[in-house]
Amino acid sequence: MRQFIKRLRQDKVGLVGCIGVLVVVVIGLLAPIIAPYSPEQMFTKHTMEGPSGQFIFGTDEFGRDIFSRIVYGAQVSLKVGLIAVGIGATGGLFFGLIAGYLQGKVDQIIMRIMDVFFAFPDILLALTIVAVLGPSVTNTMIAIGIVFTPVFTRIVRGTVIGVKENEYITNAVAIGVSPIKIIFKHITPNIMAPFIVQITLGLSGAILTEAALSFLGLGVQPPDPSWGVMLDSSRAYMEFAPWTILFPTGAIVFTIFCFNLFGDSLRDILDPKLK
Amino acid sequence: MFKKHFLFFLLLIVTLVATACSDDSASTEENAGDSSVEQVLKIANDQEPAGLDPHKTPAHSSVRVYSKVYEGLVTFDENMKIVGQLAKDWEQPNDTTYIFNLVEGVKFHNGREMTAEDVKYSFERILNKETASHIASYFSNVKNIEVLGDYQIKFELTEPNATFLTNLTNSSAAIVAKEVVEENGDLQQVAVGTGPFKFKEWVPDSTVTLVKNEDYYIDGLPKLDKVVYYTMKEEAARLSAIRTGEIDLTTLTAKSASLLKDQEAVNVKGYQSLEYSYVGFNVAKEPFNDPKVRQALSLATDRQSIADIVWDGDAIISGPIAPSMGDWAIDVEKEELYQRNLEKAKELLAEAGYPDGFSTVITTASTYADMVDTAQLLQQQWKEIGVDTEIQQIEWGEYIDTWSNTSADILVGRNGSGTDPDRAMNYFFHTDGSANVWNFSNSEYDAIVEKGKSTVDQEKRKEIYVEAQKKLLNLSPNLFLVSPKNYVAVRDGVEGYTPYPHNGEDIDEVYKK
Amino acid sequence: MYTYIIRRILMLFPVLFGVSIFIFIVMRIVPGDVAMTILGTDATPEALEQLRKDFGLNLPLYEQYFNWIGGVLTGDFGESMRTGQEVLPDILNRFKLTFELTFLSALISWFIAIPLGIIAAMKRNSNVDFGVRIISLLGVSVPNFALATVIILILALAFSYSPPVGYVGFFADPLKNLEIMIIPAVVLGTSMAGAVMRMTRSSILEILRQDFIRTIRAKGAKERIVIFQHALRNAMIPILTIIGLQIGTLLGGTVIIEQIFSLPGLGQLVLTSITQRDFIVVQGAVLFIAFVFVMINLLVDILYSYLDPRISYK
Repeated sequence: MRQFIKRLRQDKVGLVGCIGVLVVVVIGLLAPIIAPYSPEQMFTKHTMEGPSGQFIFGTDEFGRDIFSRIVYGAQVSLKVGLIAVGIGATGGLFFGLIAGYLQGKVDQIIMRIMDVFFAFPDILLALTIVAVLGPSVTNTMIAIGIVFTPVFTRIVRGTVIGVKENEYITNAVAIGVSPIKIIFKHITPNIMAPFIVQITLGLSGAILTEAALSFLGLGVQPPDPSWGVMLDSSRAYMEFAPWTILFPTGAIVFTIFCFNLFGDSLRDILDPKLK
Repeated sequence: MFKKHFLFFLLLIVTLVATACSDDSASTEENAGDSSVEQVLKIANDQEPAGLDPHKTPAHSSVRVYSKVYEGLVTFDENMKIVGQLAKDWEQPNDTTYIFNLVEGVKFHNGREMTAEDVKYSFERILNKETASHIASYFSNVKNIEVLGDYQIKFELTEPNATFLTNLTNSSAAIVAKEVVEENGDLQQVAVGTGPFKFKEWVPDSTVTLVKNEDYYIDGLPKLDKVVYYTMKEEAARLSAIRTGEIDLTTLTAKSASLLKDQEAVNVKGYQSLEYSYVGFNVAKEPFNDPKVRQALSLATDRQSIADIVWDGDAIISGPIAPSMGDWAIDVEKEELYQRNLEKAKELLAEAGYPDGFSTVITTASTYADMVDTAQLLQQQWKEIGVDTEIQQIEWGEYIDTWSNTSADILVGRNGSGTDPDRAMNYFFHTDGSANVWNFSNSEYDAIVEKGKSTVDQEKRKEIYVEAQKKLLNLSPNLFLVSPKNYVAVRDGVEGYTPYPHNGEDIDEVYKK
Repeated sequence: MYTYIIRRILMLFPVLFGVSIFIFIVMRIVPGDVAMTILGTDATPEALEQLRKDFGLNLPLYEQYFNWIGGVLTGDFGESMRTGQEVLPDILNRFKLTFELTFLSALISWFIAIPLGIIAAMKRNSNVDFGVRIISLLGVSVPNFALATVIILILALAFSYSPPVGYVGFFADPLKNLEIMIIPAVVLGTSMAGAVMRMTRSSILEILRQDFIRTIRAKGAKERIVIFQHALRNAMIPILTIIGLQIGTLLGGTVIIEQIFSLPGLGQLVLTSITQRDFIVVQGAVLFIAFVFVMINLLVDILYSYLDPRISYK
C-alpha cells in the first residue's frame, strides 16, 4: 500500500485524477452543506435565469438552482456508478470464481450464458433490461450491473485459471486444503489488480451509461437531479439558456475524465506489464 | 503498408471537401433561378407514421399523411362548420336517417370512379370486427347502410344521435377502395384514396412522399406538385433544419417557438389546440374516492403557473371542454375550484380525514416532456397542503396500458377534447364511456350527457353541456389544467397556409413563391 | 487452424439460440400491450381482442416461440405488427446505413488515433506523450450525445448549416450520402479514437521493449523503420482486438446518434419498436444485431490468430 501511494505520487497525471475523484466524492457526501438550496425547490419567479450572485450557475426552466442540482447530482451519479459496478463486480466474482475453480461442465454453462450477454451491444442490453423493469434509479443500477457482469466474470475466470496452475495451489489442493480457503487465501488476492482496474474504468462507464439512458428518458427520473437527466431536459433550450446544458455537461466530463485519469494510472501501477 | 492507408485517407478527405464545396455551388444556382420555384413542400414529422391504414391507425403521425390522400363524406370548414366533401349534400328525413348525395365523377388514384358502393364498403370495413378499427365505436349506432343509386346512400341509426355528422368528419372515416384492400390484405403500406395527393413512397424512419393528384375533382387544387414528410424525432434537429431552410414546415414546442421569434425567413404560427392537460384519479381508491380530497387538490393547484412554466405562458386554463371549442366551453376561470386557496384545501382535507395530508404516486409518460414537467410542478404545489408525491415515469407503451387498466392512482396526461362535446363529456366520463378509465360513476351526470347526445337542437344542447361541465368540475374525477397552443414554423415563401385547431396542417391551398 | 475456426462457428449456434430465447422472453414480460399501443384510447375491447388474435398472442408461449424461430430459420422474420412491413428486408436495408456509419466512424477514429498513438509511444514521457494521453482521455470522457447536440447547434448558429434531411443510400447519391453521414461519423469517431489511441501507444511501447526490437536497433536501423516495419505490425494485434470490439459496440451504440441525426438505421428501429411494443421487429432486429456482433468477434479472433502465430488452437 505504501508503495502504491509512492508510485501514485510519482505519476502526476494519476495524482490529478485521484484528487479530482476525491473532490467529486466529497462534493457528493457534503451535498446538503455545499448546496445553497434544495435541488427540487422551484423559484418560479426566476425561471431560466443566467448565472448571477444568487444562482451562480443560473436556474433551469422551473427556476431551480442549477448549482445545487449539480452538487446533488454528484450524489446520484456516484450512487449509480458504485452500486451498478458493485452489482457487476459481485456477480462477476461469484460466477467467475465458480467457473474458473470448478471448470468442466459448470464452467461451460456459465460461460455460454455470459456469451449470450456478450452478444448484445452494451447500450442495447441496458435498454432492453430497463424496458422490462421500468425506468427508475434502482432499475438503471440493476440494468448496468447486469451489463457489466460478463466482463468481470471473464476477468475473474481467466485469472483463476491462470493462478490455479501455480505450483503452490496444486500443492495446497494435494494436502487437502478446503476449496473455499484456497479461493479466499490464494486466488482472490491475485485477481485484485485487474479487478480494481476494471472497477475504476467501470465506474466511468456506468456514469456515462446512466447519462445515455437518461438522455433516452429511460434512466433516472425527474425531479431527481441526475446530470444525465439535466442534460436531457435542457437540450431543447440550449440556445436560449446555454448554461442549463453547459454546467451539467462540464460536471459529467470532469468526473469521467478524473475517473479515467485515475483508472489509467492505477492500471499502470497495478498491472505494470500493460504500461 | 502504412503509406497506402495514408493515401486512402487523403483521398477520403479530398472527396469530403469536394462534397461540401460542390453542394454549396449547387444550392446557390438553385436560388438564382427564381423564375419557377419548385412546388415541393418539405414537412418535418416528429414521429414515424405507424402505418397508413385510415381505419386502423389513430396515430397523429399517420393521420397527417393519410388525411391528404383519403377523404370522407363530410368535413369541417375553417369555422368548424360541417360541409360536404365527397358528399355534395345530405338530407335527414327523420331523426335517425341520413341520405347523402355524392359528388359525381370522383376518381380513386387508381383511376376507378368512386361510387356509393365504396362508401358502403368502407363503413362495413370499419364496423367489421376483424378489421379491429379504432373508430368502430363511433359508428356502433349505425343500424343499416343502403345504396340507393350510384351517387346516393342512406344511413339508418338505432337512435337519434347529435354526433353522427361530426364523427363523419374524422380523418379515419375515410372512403377506401375495395380492390386495394383485397389486393394488399390491409392498407398499412399502400394508400389509394380520392384526395388531393397521391401516395408515392414510404422509406421507413426517413421519408413519406406524396405527389399531386392531377385528376383531382376540384379545379386548381392542389397547388403543390409534391409533399415530402421527413421523420425527425429530435426537436433540436427540426429547429436547425427549419432555420437553414432544409425543411419548409414543422410543428414546434412553445419554447422552441419563442426561440424562432426573431429568426429571419421563418414565420411562427400559433393556434389554440383542442387538447388539455389533466390529472386523472382512480376514484375507486382511497383517498381519491372522497370528492373532498379531489377538490382540495384542485384548490391546491396553481394552473396559471403550469401555463407559464410548462407552456411558456401560451396556454389557456381549461375545463373538460377545451376553450377552442368556442361556445361549448364554460368560462372555468370563474369557478371556485379554480381559485388557488390553500386554507380551504387544507380544510377540505381535514374534513375528509387527512388533516396532515397523505403520500401518493403520480404516474406520467416519459415520452412527453410537458407531462413530466406538469407532474413536477404539481408535486411542488401539492406539497404545500401536505400531500407528498413521488413521480413515476413510464414509457408510452406502458403508459397507455396503465391508463386503460387504471393501474395508477394518479395519472398526468393530455386529452384531445374532440370536435364535439359528446367526446369530452360522454366518452371520457359517462359510467359506460369507453375512455372512462377512472372508475367514475354518477347516475345524475350520466343522465345529463345521455340527454346531450340525443338532443339535436343546438341551443338546448348547449345548455345541457353547461350543466354537465359544472357538475363534472364539482365532482372532479379529473382535474382539468390548461389547453396549450400549438405552434407551426413555416419558411418564408410558403403561401396560403393557415392552421386551425381542428386541422393544423391544411395544405390543399398552399404553394411556394 | 481450420478446426479451430469450425469449432468457433459451431459455438455460435448455442449463443444465438440463447439470444433468441432471451429476447423472446424479455419481450413477453415487458409491460405494455401492443394492441393497445396501436389502437389508442378509442379502441373497443373486441377490436383489441381481434388484433391480439391476428398477432397470435393468444397461443401458448412455446408455440409462439416455435412459430417465430421456425420462420427465422427459413429466412422469414415475420411482419411488423404496427406497419405490416416485412421485417427482414427492413433490417437489411437499415443495416446498410448502420454499417456505413460504423465503418466511417472507425475510419475517422483510426485516422486520428493511430498516428497520435505512435507519436506518443515514440516520444514516451515527453510533453507530446502527455498531451496525447490527455486528449485521448478527454475523447472518452465526452458523452457523444452531448457532443452531437453541441455540434448541431454550432453549425446552425455560426454557419447556418444543417445536414441535409432525408436519408439517401451511398449508391443512390454518394456525395449527398457522405454529407449526411460525415457529422455523425465524426462524433462517433472522436469518442472512439481515445481508446484506440491508448491501445496503440501501449502496444507499441510493449513491442519496443522486446528483445527482437533491441536486436534490430543494435544493428543500427533507423527509428522510423523500427516503428513502421517491425513494431507497428506486431502492435496491430491488440489494436485490432479493441477495434473489433468497438465496431461491434458501435453497431448497437449508434442508437442515440441515429436518433439525434434522424438516420433510419438499425438502432433507431430497435428503439422505436421497443417503445411501440412491436415484438416481432424487436426480436428480429436484436437477433440480427447479435448475429453480426458475434460474427465480428469471430473475425477478430481469427485475424488475431493469423497475425500472432504464437497462439495455439486446441
